[in-house]
Amino acid sequence: MMEKLSENIMDKVSIDFLRDQVLKNAYGNDDTPIAQLDPRVLLLWYLFFALVPWFLNDVVVLMGMFVLTAITTRLARVAPLVLFVFALGVFSQTGYMFVASLLFGGDMSTLAPLLVLTLKVATVSLASITVFSGLDPDKLSNGLLWFGCPERLSFSISFAYRILPILMEEMQNILLSYRMRGRAPEHDTFGGKVRWVIYQVKTIVQSFYPLMLNTAKRSRTTVEALELKGYRYAATNMKVLKIKLSSLHAGRREAVFAFVSAAWVACCFACPAALEVLL
Amino acid sequence: MSAVTLEDVTFTYPGAAAPTLRNVCLDVPEGDFLAIMGANGCGKSTLCKTMNGLIPQFIVGDLTGTITVGGIDAATAQIGELARKIGYVYQDFENQLVRPTVLDEASFSCLNYAYDDYIERGMRALDLCGLSDRAESYIWQLSGGQKHLLALAGAIALEPGVIVLDEPVAQLDPYHAQKTYEVLRDLNENHGKTIIVIEHHTDFIAKYCKSAALMRNGTIAWTLPAHEALQQLEDLEASDVHPPQIALAGRELKHAGALPQRAPLPTTVEEGFAAFSGIPFIPPADRAGSDEGADRTADAGGSSLSADPIVRFRNVSVSYRSVKGAPRRVFEGLDLDIQRGEKIALVGSNGAGKSTLMKLLYGLIKPQAGEILLDGAPTRGMGPDELSEKLSLVYQNPEQMFIKDSIRADIEFAMRARGVDDAAARTDELLGRFRLTELADHDGRLMSGGQMRRASLAIGIALNPPVLLLDEPTANLDIGTRQEITRLIADLRGVTDTVVIATHDMQLVCQFADRIIVLCDGEIIGDGTPDEIFMNADVVERSGIRPPEIFAMGQALDCSAACYTLDAFLGCFPAWQKMKEHGVAGERAGAPSFSPSSTRARYAHEYEEGDAA
Repeated sequence: MMEKLSENIMDKVSIDFLRDQVLKNAYGNDDTPIAQLDPRVLLLWYLFFALVPWFLNDVVVLMGMFVLTAITTRLARVAPLVLFVFALGVFSQTGYMFVASLLFGGDMSTLAPLLVLTLKVATVSLASITVFSGLDPDKLSNGLLWFGCPERLSFSISFAYRILPILMEEMQNILLSYRMRGRAPEHDTFGGKVRWVIYQVKTIVQSFYPLMLNTAKRSRTTVEALELKGYRYAATNMKVLKIKLSSLHAGRREAVFAFVSAAWVACCFACPAALEVLL
Repeated sequence: MSAVTLEDVTFTYPGAAAPTLRNVCLDVPEGDFLAIMGANGCGKSTLCKTMNGLIPQFIVGDLTGTITVGGIDAATAQIGELARKIGYVYQDFENQLVRPTVLDEASFSCLNYAYDDYIERGMRALDLCGLSDRAESYIWQLSGGQKHLLALAGAIALEPGVIVLDEPVAQLDPYHAQKTYEVLRDLNENHGKTIIVIEHHTDFIAKYCKSAALMRNGTIAWTLPAHEALQQLEDLEASDVHPPQIALAGRELKHAGALPQRAPLPTTVEEGFAAFSGIPFIPPADRAGSDEGADRTADAGGSSLSADPIVRFRNVSVSYRSVKGAPRRVFEGLDLDIQRGEKIALVGSNGAGKSTLMKLLYGLIKPQAGEILLDGAPTRGMGPDELSEKLSLVYQNPEQMFIKDSIRADIEFAMRARGVDDAAARTDELLGRFRLTELADHDGRLMSGGQMRRASLAIGIALNPPVLLLDEPTANLDIGTRQEITRLIADLRGVTDTVVIATHDMQLVCQFADRIIVLCDGEIIGDGTPDEIFMNADVVERSGIRPPEIFAMGQALDCSAACYTLDAFLGCFPAWQKMKEHGVAGERAGAPSFSPSSTRARYAHEYEEGDAA
């Protein structure tokens, strides 16, 4: 059973899988309610949820905001890998402290202060995931452009997504070359396992050299093509910027989204007071 | 009016000892469809880059002479202005695509040059290239052929009068290559575009181009109407351009006195039919050969159950995760046996499942159902070490095989890792066999295409694998180099036992394979000897494979003829047979021989010289 499970996991966790997840994350969810929103509105929304939680200490308010960002993350249909990394990140930030405190004689009372920190981290992370992974890279970069980010940055974002799958495929083949032609140490004993892990890490590090050289070779064409397509020309032309930004449009949908978010947050703030009155 | 004019153009790359272009004069009239031919490294790509202003505006160097494109001076004009006059499609077109979606890519240049109607312009370009139904797709969802068409769409979106393509056929399967050329012809004939292609494939030149220029040592040797150009057999052969096999056959028949000396050489099947149909043509009496072949495979099939096959696919199903929607199924219940010692060609259009089959064998992809047996043992659960004892894969892209900083280290790597005793001696032997001894300390990436290929083959067979897998070993090579690689692979027949080649190169298939497996949409639609496959019109039609020109010629003359090589074709002419006997006698007497095999030998010799230099 255990063997079957590990085999199953090994089947799934491959560079192919990573590549697939990256693509899914970037482009697999362009028909979700979040992806259809105007990027400028989303960026402003993000600004609020990325900053405000740090200044709050009320568990109820934070919990409310956490729920909201959890819902938007769900709506954005984020790739499972990203959520896994998120969970891992949150745990490594605070979760382990709780476990450690339990081991050293702590009890549930340690939970409350830790919960506040965890909720802050989680809310801010989920807000980032919603915006940066729910929007497709082009919309995101258009949004950034509107706020005055340099054109180069916004182009780099969408170009990175174009080049990432290619890089990963290249990496996969180079790693395969190492694996098939090299020989990994036996890993039956504990010492062998350690040597095996060291060997694998060494391989990954070594494959960066061929990877970089191959990519450099390929990018020559890309650079020339960009030149021919007038990319440099466009960077200095204000009219191009205007045309690009003319596709941005905030309407009813954005208003509804902003209103619901604001109302929810207002409720969250009102909640503790309301509870006090009632009790 | 001229679309492109070059007057006395000389160009030297910075730091280069000799100029790459020397006193080039070229005049391309508007509406022309020009092919530029020439050996690798004779300056064809450099020439094209002077036309679109990349040289000297982006790639600096020493340029003299004048270049005029659409009435403006290319050396001083704004790149932006020039881009509206001339479009360019690279040989490695995939790296030319910079945007994530199809429509984005097609309209990118129009957006950059601030056209308000950039979307419409992009759509129009896609429409011309037959891609309008894929406008919303993402780049990675396209097949290789579609990517090439998209690169073309991106180049024509600004509506330039001139379009330059660098080796459009090199990376495409024959079906897609033809499709690209059909689009080019449409652009040329119905939209008044001037088209310039760098091309090695004379069959495409004969079929589509209006004129052809030969480049030699950085200068234009001549420019002629395509039809006449292809008859300059000696010039073409001297420049590593393989003349149409039909023209070569015509020349041989002239020597044999079967064709009148003054008659023009035929260059296409139609012309060949007109020229040859009057000459007695007798294919080897009954098709005993093919029957025998069929018997042989039948025998092999029958005995396979007892003599365990080296590779066995049993009911294998594979699907790929897709970014959106349901996974894409590649194989469904695939069964395939590969016998020990078989030389197999895996053919089929791009996306038919050839690479997937190779990756399955190599354990890079695990099947969702079914199993793959390698020498009787299932590959699932085998580590990469165990697998590499049994098989070796040479990638389509040789760069990915170079993991060390010299060829010698790369070849040695696997043997050293396994503690092979005479690793150094064996490396020397392999370097010698693939003529790499002098390049042993070079980084593989910095070598020429043919050298990289040879190095990757040497790396692939270093461990003496019982099964060798080659992925497109002749892609992206000029004809001279291609023939050399084909010969090297043919030499492997005695060295490696079982060889599987995935390829579009039908000449390679004909020279090498005993058994052809035709894949179409993940299904094996043909499996048999070359005769059985190529004579089966249905299989040829469905898979889009194109038998070599000479085979089609033989078929046109006599539908029972199955000639895969020039010699076999000529052998069907009694007149040529007779001359050959005399020719052999003549050779003894010191007269020059004209047999095509001697031409080939000369070729290889010349190539070796060029290479060493």
